[in-house]
Amino acid sequence: MATPKSEKDLHLPLSRVKTIMKSSPDVEAVGPEPLYLVTKVTELFVMDLAKRAHKNSNANFLEYKHIADIVQEDDTLDFLREIMPRKITVRQFKEMMAKKAAKNGDDSSEDSSEDSSEDSSSNNEQE
Amino acid sequence: MAEKPEDLNLPLTVVTRIVKEALPSGVSISKEARTGLAKAASVFVLYVTSAATNIVKNKKRKALTGQDVIDAMKDIEFDRFVEPLGEALEHYKTMASARKSASMKKKDEQEDAEVIEDD
Repeated sequence: MATPKSEKDLHLPLSRVKTIMKSSPDVEAVGPEPLYLVTKVTELFVMDLAKRAHKNSNANFLEYKHIADIVQEDDTLDFLREIMPRKITVRQFKEMMAKKAAKNGDDSSEDSSEDSSEDSSSNNEQE
Repeated sequence: MAEKPEDLNLPLTVVTRIVKEALPSGVSISKEARTGLAKAASVFVLYVTSAATNIVKNKKRKALTGQDVIDAMKDIEFDRFVEPLGEALEHYKTMASARKSASMKKKDEQEDAEVIEDD
């Protein structure tokens, strides 16, 4: 029995979404109702992220970096940070590494003295 | 069981279509951006599934329901999707029961036809 496309009104293929869902540990049965909603919300998510990235771009050309910026700045998108890092050129990377090396050289050894007058700025990467 | 890598990716063409519909016409999107969004979508499926599964486990149930998916939105701080998903769930249930009564009606009609033929 053919289901008219307008009724389903989804773009993403249900079978593929189901495959992804089932690859998640602890998932048992995935019925049609939750499958429909997960597919639907994923579409909403893509649209939402694309729109935000477009606003971020100020132009008519949407690039990867516009999306990566949003991912890095919005904590609710933390789960994407590993797969959407900000990308930098090799030169920028080298400059970054050089700065880090210089800083490590300047820092004095751990001084637990309370009289320490040096402000040591921490350079911790935030995960 | 090994799965082919592409099985866990969402089709790029479909993702592109979704993005194009969401943005004003005339906006072009780099391939890298499209690929990134497709990957993000796959990861999002997993993320939502995991959150919904946690809810189900805490309630000591096994099967996911549509409502679990909606409740998961609050847990992952995507409250803005709660309302549209609520509407989608209503829409889905209406469609599902309409299909069911349509097929039951068809079955009734077939049975009626058989009765007439028996006369």
